Formats: sequence, C-alpha cells, structure tokens
Amino acid sequence: MKLVKKFIEGLYLKKSLKRFKPVIKALDEFFFGTDKVTYISLRSPHILDNIDIKRYMFTVIIALMPSVLAAIYLYGLRVILVIFVSYLVGGMVEVISAIFRKKEIQEGFLVTGLIFPLLLPPTIPLWMVGVGIFFGVFIGKEIFGGTGRNIFNPALVGRLFITISFPQALTTSWAEPLRGGLAGFLRYKSDALTSATPLISFKSGHTLTNISELLMGLSSGSIGETFRLGVILGGLFLLYTRVANWRIPLAYLSSVFILSFLGNVFFPDKFAPPLFQLFSGGLLLGAFFMATDPVTSPFSELGKWIFGFGCGLLTVLIRTFSGYVEGVMFSIIIMNGFSPLIDQSILNFRYRYLKR
Amino acid sequence: MLKYKTFKGGYRFRNFLGQPREQLKELPIPQRVIIPLKQGFGGEVKPLVSPGDKVYAGQIIGRDDENVSSPVHSSVNGEVLKIEKINYFKQEITAIFIEAEPTAEWRPLEGYSADWGKLSPEKIEELIYLSGSASLDKEGIPTRFRSSIISPSEVENLIIHGIGSEIYNLSLRLLLSGKNLFHFIEGIRILKKIFPQAEVHLALNKNFKKLVEEISKITSGFDWLKIYALEPKYPQGYDEMLVPTLLGRPFPYGYSAANIGIVILNTQAVLHVYEAVCEGKPLIERTIALCGEGFRENLHLKVKIGTPLKEIFSPYLRKDKEMRLVLNSLLTGIRLNIFSLPLSRTFSQVIALPENREREFLSFLRLGMRSESYTRTFLSALLRGKKKLNTNIHGEPRPCISCGYCQEVCPVRIIPHLLYRFIERNIIDERLSKYGIFNCLECNLCSFVCPSKLPLAKTIKDGQERLITIGCDRAKCILPYFDLKGLEEYRGIK
Ligand code: SF4
Ligand code: SF4
Repeated sequence: MKLVKKFIEGLYLKKSLKRFKPVIKALDEFFFGTDKVTYISLRSPHILDNIDIKRYMFTVIIALMPSVLAAIYLYGLRVILVIFVSYLVGGMVEVISAIFRKKEIQEGFLVTGLIFPLLLPPTIPLWMVGVGIFFGVFIGKEIFGGTGRNIFNPALVGRLFITISFPQALTTSWAEPLRGGLAGFLRYKSDALTSATPLISFKSGHTLTNISELLMGLSSGSIGETFRLGVILGGLFLLYTRVANWRIPLAYLSSVFILSFLGNVFFPDKFAPPLFQLFSGGLLLGAFFMATDPVTSPFSELGKWIFGFGCGLLTVLIRTFSGYVEGVMFSIIIMNGFSPLIDQSILNFRYRYLKR
Repeated sequence: MLKYKTFKGGYRFRNFLGQPREQLKELPIPQRVIIPLKQGFGGEVKPLVSPGDKVYAGQIIGRDDENVSSPVHSSVNGEVLKIEKINYFKQEITAIFIEAEPTAEWRPLEGYSADWGKLSPEKIEELIYLSGSASLDKEGIPTRFRSSIISPSEVENLIIHGIGSEIYNLSLRLLLSGKNLFHFIEGIRILKKIFPQAEVHLALNKNFKKLVEEISKITSGFDWLKIYALEPKYPQGYDEMLVPTLLGRPFPYGYSAANIGIVILNTQAVLHVYEAVCEGKPLIERTIALCGEGFRENLHLKVKIGTPLKEIFSPYLRKDKEMRLVLNSLLTGIRLNIFSLPLSRTFSQVIALPENREREFLSFLRLGMRSESYTRTFLSALLRGKKKLNTNIHGEPRPCISCGYCQEVCPVRIIPHLLYRFIERNIIDERLSKYGIFNCLECNLCSFVCPSKLPLAKTIKDGQERLITIGCDRAKCILPYFDLKGLEEYRGIK
C-alpha cells in the first residue's frame, strides 16, 4: 500500500508525464479514496452516502462475474484474451479522450469494456473485438461528450457496428460449448462449430431447445449470454443493490412473455412459445444489464415502464418477422433513441396543469 | 383509533452507533449564563433589566407585547453582568449575561394550578405565553398575546408528533417515561382546551409499539384525538411532510403551517406546556441528547438555558480526534464551532461527528460492514450491522449518470437531477418553477444519496435565487392555490 502511494506520488512529480495527468489522477483515485470532507454550509448535508461511481460500476462487474466465469468454462481461455483486448482498446480510447478534453477519466468504461465482449460470438477474431469497442466507445460515447451524455449504450453501438460491417463472422458460425471436467479452464478454445443457435434452429426448423439446457449454458450463443442461470442471479443481485432499477427488466421480460404467449396462441408456427423466448438469445443479458443502463434509459418511472414495454414489443416483432433471428440489441438501441422523447412527453404530461 | 400512514420518497436511516441511551443527567448550575433575547419563534424582545440588577430563576427579563414574540427568562438566580450584542448563528442578537449563584430554586409563575380544568382558557393562554413555551417549534403556539402569527381561534388543526425521523433523535421513551406520559397527555388536553375548535392529531413512531398501544389505551375515551403510527422515514418529522401525510392537504411550500391554520408541536413542547400550566414552570431548561461517536457517553442532559456550550460538551467530548459538532440534524443542521455561545430553546440534540480526512486504500472494494448507503452495495444492508458516520465525502465528483436515486428519495417528488442540469447550463426560466423548484424543502436528502457527489440541494437553492432575480418568484406558484392566514406577520418575522 505504501509502495503504491510512493509510486503514484513519484508519477505526479515527473515533468515528462504532465500530459498524462488524468491517467495518474485516475490511478491515484482508484487506489485511494478521497480526503475531502463535506462542505460546512446550511445547504449541504454534513454526511454523504458511502456509494461512489467506482463502487456503482464495480457492482455491475461483480454481477457479471458468474457469466464471465461460465464463459471461460464453456468457451476456453481465449475468452480472457477477448476481454483483455476489449479493455485495452476501450481503455485507450477513454484515456486519449480524457487527455484531449483535460477531464478526469470516468469509470463507465469498466462496464462497457466487459459487457461488449460478452455480446460477441466465441469465434470472433480479436482484431474485430478491437474495432468494435473502438467504434462503440468513440462514436457511442466520447462524441456525445462522455459518460452521462451519451444517448446510446456504447457496448451496443459497437456490437451493432460490427454486426452490420461483418455479417459473415457474426452470424454464421458458432462454437459448441465445452463441457465435462474442467473444460474451458484448461483449453484455449472450443473447436467444434455449429451453424445454429437455439433461436436459429427455431426459425429454420421449429426445433425447440430444452429450457434446462438453455439455463445451464449447454447450447450455443454469444460468449456471455448462454449461462442464463448466472445472468439471472447477477441480474437479481443488481436489482437488490438498487444499482439497476427493477422496473425496466420487469416490464421488458413480462411484455416479451405476454406478447409471445398471445402470438403463440394465435400463430403457433410463427411465434416461439413464451418460456423459450424468455430463455433464448441475449434477452436476459440485455434486459438486466443493458436496458437498465441509467444513462440511456428514461429517468421517469412511467418512462421506464414504457421503455421496457417498447423493448419487449420490438424484440418479439424482430425475432418473429424480420430477417434477423435476434432482436434484443436492435430493440434496446431503438428505444435508447426514443428515451429523451419519452421523458419529455411524460414531463409535459405530468406538469401540464402548471403551464400558463 | 390508530392509523398507519406514510409518504412516497424519503429514506429511513437506521442502525447507527452513538444513539443516546435512555438516561437523563442533570448538569450542575453553570457559573454564568448568556440569555439571547431571541429564542425560538418570534422576534427579538426588549430587555427589562439592567446591569447590576439581581434576578431570580424564572424571572422574565425580556418581553415585547407589541410584536410577535414570547418572553425570555433568567434561568438562574444571580446578578446581571452586562447586556451586549452577540453574533448568534449568523444573527446579531442582544444577549443578557448573568453571573449565577449555585442555588437551584426557581420562582413559579403566578396562578398556575395542578387542577388545570378549573383555569379559564385566558389564564391558560397567559401561563403558556409567560412561560415562553409559546415560542417553541416552527410556528409557535398561538395565544391572545401575539405569540404566533395567527390567533388561537384560527387554529383548525393541531398536530403533535414524536416521530424521530432524523438519524439521531431524542429518545421518545425517555421523554415519555414514568409520570411524563401522563403529563404529556394532560398537555394535549390543555391545548385542546385553548383550541376547542381544532382537530387534534397525534403522530407517533410506529416502531415504538408498546408506547403507541399504551397511549391509545389511555386516550381511547377522547373522541377528538386521532392517533397515527408513522414510519420514521426522513423527513417525516418536517411540517411540510406531516401535513400532507396526516391531513392529505397540500402544503404551501416556503410558508408556514400556521398560514393554513395548522399548529405543529413536538413532544417536548407539549411537556413544557404541561409544566407551565400545572407547575408554573417557565422555560428555563431543556433536555438535549448527546449523539454520535464523538461523545464519550451518549446520553441525555437536562441543561439550563443560556449555559455556554463549552460547559455542556467539554466533559463528554472525545479529544483524540477532530470532531464536528452539529446541531439537531446531520442533514440540515448548523455546525457549532464557537463554544462560548449559549444553549437556546431550539436545541434538542447535538451530534459529534468525526472529521475524516483520511484516504482509504481501495475503498470501493471494501465490504462495508459499518457503512451507510441508500444503495445496498455494502454488507451492512444484509447483516444490519451498526453503522458509523463521518464527514468524508466518500468518492470523487463525477457527472450525473441519471441513476435516479435523488428522484426516488425526494419527498416532494421533484426531479433534482433535471433541475440540476437546467441550472448548471444556465437555463433559468419558468420551466424551473413549473417543475416544482419552489417546492423544495431543503431536506438535503438528494445531495446525500448522489453517487456522483453533486451538490444538488445547494444548486436548487441557488437556482431559486436566480429565478427570483428574473422576476419569477415563489409567490406566483404557491399563493394562487392557498388562502393563507397571517401572511403579513409571517413576512415580518422572516
Ligand atoms: S443521484 Fe446524482 S447521479 Fe444519480 S440521478 Fe441524481 S444527480 Fe444524477
Ligand atoms: S433538498 Fe429539495 S430537491 Fe432535494 S430531496 Fe429535499 S426536497 Fe427534494
């Protein structure tokens, strides 16, 4: 601890590193808490909550841990490399823009950098990971002015970008999960390939995958979405800690369930049954970890319900009627774009009597 | 008749180290007291004594019958040393310095009677006024002596509360222990006698089940009394929250409850009323609680009004660390830093909070058995350990991430981060008042919960002031909806 302190103090003093002040400051703040105390004025409280943004973001990372560990188990040690590339490139973009803007480095990229790789297919080439996260952080966030001002979820922007640019790599071949013994903890990657995820099999041949298989991650899919039991546990943990608001996942998941139930009753060969819909694709990961991103979802309570419902509706529609098999990513991004509008309309409605 | 009620928003603070024990100690008579001539509700009064005069404990030494005010007493037997202006909590106030004799006797008010039923309402009002109790709490107790901004006949509702929604509170069980419970109920009946037309509401902390039951049992014969058990969520004890929660009526934010015919008193004030009417005791001492880890002992003290703070705290304050002393509330209270200043009627608890300027290694990874947070990201949420508090801000300022905590806790349903965004970008226009900026109670809860450490409440207050300079003021959005009483007097006092 003392060593770290000495090291950082040394960095502060080096003239040649002056430009990197945001980085040094971020390091310093990462290791050591603040020494500031509350203002002494009538208008500020004497005590403040112990939560800060670092802990807030870190809670999301903890909640993602079951999925990350399961991903390594299922798809081999290469997953670590994918995450590493994502952090490296994402972190660099963050650092460079912080230096450029002379602002402090914000902790938001800790989450973006971890969620992004979890959305990718296990066979993704590493350079593509780098391109995706670069695009996501740079276009999705920094251009808007950094954390707190972005309209779209940066991880999803990155993912959308590579889906559109490299459709081949992202939709045709999927790795079969490893299993048995220590599986992926000892192997670099899974070599067996398949062309179908559960959603694809339903669309092409109406085969339904077993729910328990879906829950335990025994079917193919993106890196972090398949061990759904872990996603659910992590998600519930997030809701319990209040880091994610419960309204969005509840609205999202229940509207997917109800809509696909209704659809399945009337058009059983078009709509997949509700439970299968709930437990397939990236729905759970999206509902718990991406739709709940506070920056890009509405802040009003009613707005959160509408947002969740909109995501659910779009997801079911895209899955059923479009050329794409999965609609979670598109629906969240589309609803992200609508959030400011939703909030503004609700404000206008709520305060309509007071307008004069 | 017991009703459970609560409000939306707010935050329940629970499980803190340093809560005062149910123990009451009497402080010895100080050598010298300083009596400020403005204490509690009302204006400053004129001194009736001059240096060199002998005074007795309970003697009225300051009084002004022309303006809204209440008399002030000497709390000790002794001799007036000097009369001088002091700077008392940012106000220039005249104070009377008295050299005390170590005798504890005090002279009762004239005409009191333990059998208060025989006294006429006029006499009761006079006793309450002369005892100084009429100046307690936010709007005082209306009497025919101009002790509040409205007259007794204008009181439509009387709310008495002992909720304790602050982090540290006077112990209700101690205040109402033994004979005091009976005195408290008699006090309520006395007040009912001078406001015969008023509905009386008694709001208690719902966690004190036994006490609530006992009081309901004793008062079951009073059909004019409504009893409520409320969740002790901060800021339930505020007038602005009690009125909508109990009566379902909107509050004229920024004005006083008295403006809409409501008088709100806390437990200790009612006990003072009883003492004034039945024992003839003027308001010369207060019970205060010493809270927080900064005190070596957390207990209650009975202190003569005017005692310098130094003499109250020095024996109890821990010296090994730097402490911040805060009056009444950790969220909105004033810091006490000049220890030569005296105690006044408005004190009820004093909190000693450790100043913490230490940097903590990897603080965001700590489990936090003793950390307080609105979020449940600390172990203390799960294990319910006793929590500790200090003045550190626990994190670096960051931009708002719209997490919505401030909006969830705001008791008046304002959206603080929205207003903050407007004010930060210098957008000062009518929209701010449309979004309710003038409803803010300054409870500071939004600033407390913000993970980005933004000074929300402060910015909102600044925004109000800037809005007023462009000619859009509180009156426009509050006044048209209410028929306010005693408005001129209220302005005069503010
Ligand atoms: S609590 Fe702070 S970070 Fe959260 S929405 Fe309010 S202002 Fe923004
Ligand atoms: S200080 Fe004002 S805006 Fe903030 S929580 Fe309290 S009432 Fe709401």
